[in-house]
Amino acid sequence: MGGYVHADSLCAGQGFPKPRPGRSSAAMVKVAIALLTAVALLLVVQIIDRSREPAQLKAVLDASERAASAQERMLLELKSLREELARRPAAAPTAAATASTDAGGRRDGVPREGGNFLLAPDTSHFDPAKVGGRLVEFERPPQSLNPLLENLASASAARGYMNDGLCDSHPAHPDLWYEGLAESVVIADGWRRFTFRIRPGVVWHRPAMARDGRHAWLDRDVELTAKDFAFAIDLIRNGDVDCPHLKGYYENVASARALDDRTFELVWKESEYTNIDGSLGLTPLPSHIYGRYEDGSEIPPEKLGAVFNKHWFDEAHQFVGTGMYMLESFEPGKSLELLRNPRYWSKGLHVDRMAWDGSVVQPDAQLTAFKNGQVHFQGLLPAQYKSEILDGRENRFAKPVANDPTAGRTGAFGWERVRGTSYAYIGWNMRRPIFADQRVRQALTLAFPKQRIIDEVFLGLGRPQYGPIHPDSPYAATDLPRFDFDPAVARQRLAEAGWKDSDGDGWLDREIAGQRTPLRFRIAYYAAGTLWQNILAIYRDNLKPLGIDMTPDPIEDTEWERRMDNKDFDGMCAGWQMDLDADFVQLWHSKGADEPKSSNHCGFRDQRVDELSLQLRRTFDRDERIRIAREVQRLIAEAQPYVFIRSGEGIFAWQNGRSGPADRRDLLGGVVTGFERLHPLRNRTRLYWTIDRAP
Amino acid sequence: MWAYVVRRLLWMIPTFLGILVINFAVLRMQGPSLSRELTKATGGESGEMNAKLVSSGVEAYLVRFRTTGLDLPALVNLRGFIGKDEVAAWLRETERGPGVDDAARDRREKELWMAGRFLVAPLAAVLADDALAKLHGPASMALSLCAFYPLHRGELERMAADEARARGERNQALKGLRIAYANDRGDGFRTTDPEAQAKRTAAVEFAARHAAAFAAPGDRWRAILGETGFTLFLRQLATGELWSTERQQYVFSLIADRWQTSFGLNLLAILIAWMVSIPLGVRAARRVGSLEERASGSALFLLWSLPSFFVGTLLLHHLCTDHPGSTALFPNRGLSSPDSLWYSTPAYLADLAWHAALPLLVLCYGSFTALSRYMRASVLDQMSSDYVRTARAKGVSEDAVVWRHATRNSLITMITLGSELLAALFGGSIIVEYIFSIDGLGRLLLEAARSQDAPLVMGSTVISVGLLLVSILVADLLYAVADPRIRARYA
Repeated sequence: MGGYVHADSLCAGQGFPKPRPGRSSAAMVKVAIALLTAVALLLVVQIIDRSREPAQLKAVLDASERAASAQERMLLELKSLREELARRPAAAPTAAATASTDAGGRRDGVPREGGNFLLAPDTSHFDPAKVGGRLVEFERPPQSLNPLLENLASASAARGYMNDGLCDSHPAHPDLWYEGLAESVVIADGWRRFTFRIRPGVVWHRPAMARDGRHAWLDRDVELTAKDFAFAIDLIRNGDVDCPHLKGYYENVASARALDDRTFELVWKESEYTNIDGSLGLTPLPSHIYGRYEDGSEIPPEKLGAVFNKHWFDEAHQFVGTGMYMLESFEPGKSLELLRNPRYWSKGLHVDRMAWDGSVVQPDAQLTAFKNGQVHFQGLLPAQYKSEILDGRENRFAKPVANDPTAGRTGAFGWERVRGTSYAYIGWNMRRPIFADQRVRQALTLAFPKQRIIDEVFLGLGRPQYGPIHPDSPYAATDLPRFDFDPAVARQRLAEAGWKDSDGDGWLDREIAGQRTPLRFRIAYYAAGTLWQNILAIYRDNLKPLGIDMTPDPIEDTEWERRMDNKDFDGMCAGWQMDLDADFVQLWHSKGADEPKSSNHCGFRDQRVDELSLQLRRTFDRDERIRIAREVQRLIAEAQPYVFIRSGEGIFAWQNGRSGPADRRDLLGGVVTGFERLHPLRNRTRLYWTIDRAP
Repeated sequence: MWAYVVRRLLWMIPTFLGILVINFAVLRMQGPSLSRELTKATGGESGEMNAKLVSSGVEAYLVRFRTTGLDLPALVNLRGFIGKDEVAAWLRETERGPGVDDAARDRREKELWMAGRFLVAPLAAVLADDALAKLHGPASMALSLCAFYPLHRGELERMAADEARARGERNQALKGLRIAYANDRGDGFRTTDPEAQAKRTAAVEFAARHAAAFAAPGDRWRAILGETGFTLFLRQLATGELWSTERQQYVFSLIADRWQTSFGLNLLAILIAWMVSIPLGVRAARRVGSLEERASGSALFLLWSLPSFFVGTLLLHHLCTDHPGSTALFPNRGLSSPDSLWYSTPAYLADLAWHAALPLLVLCYGSFTALSRYMRASVLDQMSSDYVRTARAKGVSEDAVVWRHATRNSLITMITLGSELLAALFGGSIIVEYIFSIDGLGRLLLEAARSQDAPLVMGSTVISVGLLLVSILVADLLYAVADPRIRARYA
């Protein structure tokens, strides 16, 4: 049968006995096909046309919404001007009243008991004439802005623009505090009781959704009160709320109460230095929103925690704060746009609008977009720094000049090295007998060519690190033993520790617990990327002539966690992201030396460090704290539980004026002339940009 | 024929479930990991952790595991059958001591704390037994964690206010039941709490009072297959409630937002690839052995061996970067210009084509080689068959022989290749979307895999497995349609 069908199809296809259709009819068929195709094409165009209409309509609506909001903003601006005028005659007595409450106190920003110590907010950078412009950067917006649940760095950064804390700490001096939402603070009861006076007249932003008709109950001014701070603490401590990262900080709170609308009191169970950070840095949570259902009715207290975890306000992608920017639009993971708050109580930044664009993530694509003038600034990867700047592939970047850190600023694209707060290290598992001797660990550091690795692997980005505290911290000790690269001294230390090549195989060995043990170990590193691979290759070449047999040990994601949790390693490569504060308990106290998941993964034990680190937590005097912190650093540096490598640096590049093609410039909405002041620790502070207003 | 289709459809169900079970098991193999949560909580990558944040406790993380079902066993739940003796043995495994393997101890402790409601009664039994005094500390700790069920909103909507309040009060009471204890390498468990007796009585009473709330009779049988991570996943899948905690969004709405972009892009790429490869293959077959055929073959293999991320980056650098005084030939990101919404439709289409040109090129150049080689082989195969000789013999022109006879029949073999097409529509453009900043499914999948966003990975696996099964079926049917011999077999 198959054969028959086959034959049939052959005949039907072009069967030779059949007469062929005439030429004219073939032409007709072609014309018909052409006509049909044209009609189909037109139809497709029509369909696409129609399908674009809803989006266009939405864009028109959004634009009119924005216009309405701009108008409203102008009115608000007027209102706040009027309020300020009304307040002005009363300004003098208020100042006198504040002065009387902290009689005898010096307001130098250094926390002390009794009396207000807060510095007045620093607004010296602000020049009203420079206000304006829209700043665009590639930063992926977080999935949620919820103040308690979402703690990605990007979420904290966005919230930092939109909300303030009770007090504001100095970016470079963690112990200096400015006024924030609190006008004053009084610390009492052995650093356990913090009483804040809340700034009057601060109003919560009005969310964009308040205008949509369904949420009319939100369309009003709500003043910030002490209740909003108590509410934040209550929710953090609520067992149903999914915020483990914050619960740790506030475990030690005894009570948080609003004594009246303007007085907030926070009491801690123990007298610890961390109370200061936890109290002064607290940000308020809008109880008029998070305490309510979408229809404006109150959420009963027993359901509050659970409802908060998936709150309607977050699901509508909204956020309100009291800070210098208000949320204009937010598409999780995609885009975020902020707008100056005309009623901000302090001065803030010059930029009128800030936009985060999360649509470009690939580093090369980001660099291309930066060169095409689509964003104002961009961080460069070390490899990009090398090819674009050091190798000079992009001549719009100025060449680096030795001893002139600002040389890069002059090109069409400005660039500068900025410092980070992390440091990289190789940690030794001190439970292993071969690493138990301090002299061996010192020798291992002496054999590590730190400067060469910074120059060659990190391309010169970074500064050598010698101890456990960031070099920019006021607590950092400058006189630490360095153990700079010196193979001869390393050899000598190893010999002192009893390591020699007794069997002549080229590797050092020693008798440990009756067994001849060679100095042989593996260093585990996180296998993603080639950074550690390169570092360890250089290190290995330097260990070999000393008779030390080291093997790099690349480890993948999940295995890495298991090995670190269980302390299953000889040496390990990692980094710590630090604050500028000094606290040693978590990383260096011996109580964590045997705990499976503790941060003291190297098993460091030192009785004196234990005592001092606990003492530091109970010490509040700044000079005494510095003295203790420096002593601890010396003890740790002498013991060398880590090869401390470098504290991080990165490359930050920005558009310097009119570099892009003219027709692209409008994408930026007014072009940047450069920055006035950029703090090196970018994550801890704000950038003070000025943008040229279009002529 | 219909019987065949129905049979194939029925077979798809177990295949589908089987694939899901395997995928689910692989994803769950590593189990809930606290340190991953910690690393994520710091927002850092590359193993850098924020020192301050690592210190928070286990309980706080239980909230996350209980609400996402990560605390449940993956496929079979036998926790209802654990008695007092088993749980006492389990507690002993969590004791530190000389020679105890820390890793195993740690794992067992974590499992115990996660185990949940069925362990409340046996743990209370341990606490009631004077002979097991050494275990009372850890038992009370485990009890307070096993009994901890935070409310989450899904439940809350179904739950009466009284019940919610009762649950809240239970959770509040738990912390007061914990007997403080030490667990040292030297002495093992040692109770250090002066109020141990009172807390112990309270814990036993608590378990007795709430026995029904934790494990009603018959629950343990139902739980064997009904209360597992997999059934929870299936339930969420069926109700569309699969939730990505990473992205704080429902998985299907994430996919729905992006599928059109990727489908469109991949469909076009596939069409172009076929439209180019088939004539190439036929031409190669006709000129087999000639210099031209060899040259084009080598060129194609050269193309094939260039990885698309490399080519994509090169194109981005050289064709998409503006220089002073000159604008780039092609746009560097996305599929449309920022203001394309206001273009006329033809201009909009032209803008789209301009944006899509490089991504499409990178997407399809790799498939030219394989497709055209298949086509070439297939045509060559047909050219030596009897009917071609017959056609030639009856005087049909060479063009007609090749295009009408050989090519048409060769296409039948190409249909099998098409079976992967539908699945490729779904996730075929990962790298291209990443390099050219196109917000489609490919990029979503890449990011989901990187952040180990299990619900999102599973959700998209479901869809792409479904598409794969459907497209295999469609290919088989097309095969039958195209080849009468197959049709005849099932007629």
